[in-house]
Amino acid sequence: MTGDDEVQELKRQLAAASEAARDAYRDTTRLIQLLALLGQPGGPDELMEDLLAVLSDVFFTDVVCMAQLAGDRLVVTGSCGLPEDDPGFTDGWAAGESALAALSGAVPVAVGGGVRGADAPGSVSRLGIRSAAWIPLSGDPYADTLLILFRTSDRKFTVSDLRILSSVAGRLHLALQEREHNATIEQLAHFGHLLTRHLEAEPLLDAAADLLRRLTRADRTWVVTVEGTQAQLRAHRGLPAEQVQGWPRPAAAVDEPPGCGAGLAEVLRVAVSCENGPTALLYAGRERPRPFARGTLEIMTIFGNHLGVALTNAELYRTLAERATRDPLTGLANRSALVSHLDRLLSAEDPSRVGVLFCDLDGFKSVNDLLGHEAGDELLLQVADRLRHGIRPEDLLARFGGDEFVIVLDRIKQLAEVAEVGGRVCADLNDLFTVSGERVHVSCSIGGVLGVRGRATPSAMLRDADAAMYVAKGRGSGQVEVFDEDASHRSRDRLDLRSELLLARDRGQLHLAYQPIFALDSRAIVAFEALLRWTHPHHGNVPPDVFIPLAEESGAIVEIGQWVMEQACRQLAQWHRLPEGRGLGMSVNLSPVQLHQAHAAERTLGVIRAAGLHPADIWLEITEHSYLRHEVTQYASALGAAGVHLVLDDFGTAYSNLSYLKRLPIEILKIDKSFVSGVTGGHLDISIVRAILAIADSLGLVAIAEGIETEEQRTTLRGLGCRLGQGYLLSRPLPAAQAGLLLRPQEQMPARARNAR
Amino acid sequence: MTSQPDTRLRAGVGFSESADPAEAGGAAVRAAVAGLGGQPAALFIVYASVSYDLIALLHAVRGETGQAPLVGCTTSGQFHDGRLITPGIGVSVLALSAGPYRFGVASVTGVRDEPVAAGQRLARAARAAAGPEPSAHAAVLLLTTGLAGHQQELLNGVHKVVGAAVPVVGGGAGDDRLLVRTCVFEGDQVYTDGGATAVWIAAPHPLTVVAEHGWHDVSLPLLVTRSDGLVIEEIAGRPAAEVFREHFHDDVNYERPGLVRPAPGYLSAYAFGLIEPDGSKLIRGAYIDPEGRLRSFTPLPPYAPVQIVACAPDDLLRVTEDVVEQAVAGRDAAVLLAFSCVARLDVLAERGPVEAARIQAAAGDVTTFGFYTYGEFARTTRVAGYHNATLTAIAL
Repeated sequence: MTGDDEVQELKRQLAAASEAARDAYRDTTRLIQLLALLGQPGGPDELMEDLLAVLSDVFFTDVVCMAQLAGDRLVVTGSCGLPEDDPGFTDGWAAGESALAALSGAVPVAVGGGVRGADAPGSVSRLGIRSAAWIPLSGDPYADTLLILFRTSDRKFTVSDLRILSSVAGRLHLALQEREHNATIEQLAHFGHLLTRHLEAEPLLDAAADLLRRLTRADRTWVVTVEGTQAQLRAHRGLPAEQVQGWPRPAAAVDEPPGCGAGLAEVLRVAVSCENGPTALLYAGRERPRPFARGTLEIMTIFGNHLGVALTNAELYRTLAERATRDPLTGLANRSALVSHLDRLLSAEDPSRVGVLFCDLDGFKSVNDLLGHEAGDELLLQVADRLRHGIRPEDLLARFGGDEFVIVLDRIKQLAEVAEVGGRVCADLNDLFTVSGERVHVSCSIGGVLGVRGRATPSAMLRDADAAMYVAKGRGSGQVEVFDEDASHRSRDRLDLRSELLLARDRGQLHLAYQPIFALDSRAIVAFEALLRWTHPHHGNVPPDVFIPLAEESGAIVEIGQWVMEQACRQLAQWHRLPEGRGLGMSVNLSPVQLHQAHAAERTLGVIRAAGLHPADIWLEITEHSYLRHEVTQYASALGAAGVHLVLDDFGTAYSNLSYLKRLPIEILKIDKSFVSGVTGGHLDISIVRAILAIADSLGLVAIAEGIETEEQRTTLRGLGCRLGQGYLLSRPLPAAQAGLLLRPQEQMPARARNAR
Repeated sequence: MTSQPDTRLRAGVGFSESADPAEAGGAAVRAAVAGLGGQPAALFIVYASVSYDLIALLHAVRGETGQAPLVGCTTSGQFHDGRLITPGIGVSVLALSAGPYRFGVASVTGVRDEPVAAGQRLARAARAAAGPEPSAHAAVLLLTTGLAGHQQELLNGVHKVVGAAVPVVGGGAGDDRLLVRTCVFEGDQVYTDGGATAVWIAAPHPLTVVAEHGWHDVSLPLLVTRSDGLVIEEIAGRPAAEVFREHFHDDVNYERPGLVRPAPGYLSAYAFGLIEPDGSKLIRGAYIDPEGRLRSFTPLPPYAPVQIVACAPDDLLRVTEDVVEQAVAGRDAAVLLAFSCVARLDVLAERGPVEAARIQAAAGDVTTFGFYTYGEFARTTRVAGYHNATLTAIAL
């Protein structure tokens, strides 16, 4: 061998060695790359995508894809080299000879030197494929799946290539299976969690349709619930418009064609049961000829169980929520639901306003008293029913408590509309209801207000409507009163005063003034009238005709009345100890509200006696229009029997029924100031006073003239035979200390009293 | 394709070295349009030095082109008509009439953060911009910001959308070797690192993308046994830098091997050839950093089979004719779009202008137009299609 030959030979050997090393490294490297990829964490889709890219690279393929046999077609499930919109993904390819051979024999098949016909299907046929390999991913559930590699180069897939590919395919199917399994378990756990977030049925079922589609990779999913014989489509994803119409359908026909599954290659269904709720049916369908992965039905079943739990929870939540927001008797919204509804409306962005009607039944108490609570409940149910039918569907009817109902009217323009609805409701209710077999008449008093969104609050609106209702009630039963803003404002001031009044006594703002009652002829003081005064730190002296009704409304009058009685008795007892004070009487005003208390008469007598007085020292003044109820008669009779003198105040101002004068042990009449002021001017007033005095005389009663302001009035009254009187002419109401001075001998009397003589 | 007068592609090239961006842009585009012989322009490609105020330059260019589709990028040197424009100055404009093609242009950002998705969006948008009519064939011209990285993943994204039937050609924008900021253009918009732009070329005939490098082996096949990102730690179980150095020619200055900024008069350079399944090699540039570590520009994965490769200027120049001939073979081409790596320019050193001249010489009367890149695209068969130190081309 020459030197050159040797060099050539060495070069040839080097080239062969390099070639061999290159081949060996190439095979090793690609196996390492593929196995490394299979070992990397990630989901099945990611794995498939990465693996196909690496296969394209290391096997020098133009197109590599995974395809699954569906019927006689191969549907591509993943690819590197096919465009994303390739029909192979959707319609699939007719399965070629080599593909079928590889699947049926579970062996790799390779073709070189030109690939023709169905072996180079679809868009692949236009690439000029020269060489291809079909590698089955044997093993359930991938027994119908192939890895297919297409090359435009003439290089046939070698035995070594096929061996590596088979090994990779084997591992790939295990890896895919495991990852799909893990991914499904992960998804199921995650989706189960997502389902439980929904506490209401509609969003829950909607979420279920969405999650089911992701879980099963279906083209369409839908959820149907069956109640009795009716099936209702509750949620769906991907259903065409015509399938969404025509529900509910007879339950028996849900799965009959043409159902929602029309046009689908495959439909899976599972039933979901839920405690106390309707049965739900879950459907998943695929449009493509690609079957669902095996195990999908089992996955759907597990998903269905998750959904069943979530539905049961939702049902439970609904019941609880209903209990928290419903009035148990009528099923209407309760107070808290009313407030949140009103709050929601008031915070909405809308130029219209919100009306509130506060309805209180008139005479409900007597139904309860006469017929019992069960009858009362029965009446409330009937009233609720009547009210419910009288309002628009968008209005809210709530039971506020007891016999109070509230109607919330949305999208109202003006107060007149509120008044109109109030009037209608009033008219609807003003009727006879049959309760416990008895016919009872019911009416209702209604107060209404209008709230501006963004400004009004539920509590203010309810308070004002309540106040308006009281005004309505004050006008008699079956009346409607609506408050505009000014009226609401006034009522609010009044309410403020009312709440302050509750604290006034503790704060030392209440005190008594005493106005003497004189014998008009002898000018001797025969008694004092105890008058309650409230000195408010901001408003000054609040007139009794303002605060007494407030105290009566709030019930504070009971406690205050007791206190007045105690104070007056104590004061009288003190004056009795003076030589000039013997035989002095004390007149105390009584509110009818005080008489609602149990043992009212005993308590009053107890106070009198505790002060060391005799009942005959006390004159109790009751107003003509307040009483004459059963309680008053009882009370007055008891006190009268004990010796207390009963005075009928403001006589002549209200409708007088003389029979009451006979029925009650009245001893004294007070002639109202309005008549007294007229005795010196008008002919009419003097006639009235004369008539009153005649009545008193005929019944053996004593008359007291109130509000004597002039000497002329006093003279006239004396002339008419009126023996007792009080008024500014004689003495204005005085603090106890000053009033006490009036009892002293003449020279020590205050100037005004002296002048009055 | 039969060549009818109105369907023949016309190409015009313009160029300016003016330092004023508006003046340079305006002059280059006017000259390019003049070359169309009155045909309306259907596509402009603009290559510019990063030294320009690019907004002002594009504004001037758009003033001349109107709303015609336009793409482009910054470069590390340009070439056309056999002439090299050295890095640091100059703007070159190619104007193309439609000819038998339909062009659709688009751009994206986000190559750094989600390169695959960016590639998908880019391909879909460019294809959509070319109009709804189907075409028998197509190719994608892809320009990315060279410093954004993730070139192969960007390509993967494009490939996922368009598939194997559509070859991809193009390159990574350069910045005159400054390695600071690379930009691509679309319309009057400039996208810096993370941006990419593309032209969908719908064609009545198949389009061929060609790539060749000219490097040769100086080692036996080796396995990268340990690597960490861009640092190659071990080759065949030994320190990688040591193995790399062992293959240097005696004349090589040990301190400055590799591809970045070689000294003048450098005769040869070294890199890695990633062994491909068909026995060919993808060139992967490498250099030894100041700490003595061997580094590459794109990661070499563990167990990558490689050979150390080297080249001299003649090796690189030898492939030019081959590339041009393959690209124009069997077609009556009007323009050759070429993409050559700045690394090749570095190796060529003072013989730099020769490559441009030889490309034009091989192309004959076909207009040639190209730039020096930070990496080239040539995706032909499989998904891999990102190259270093390679010359890639397509003829239209």
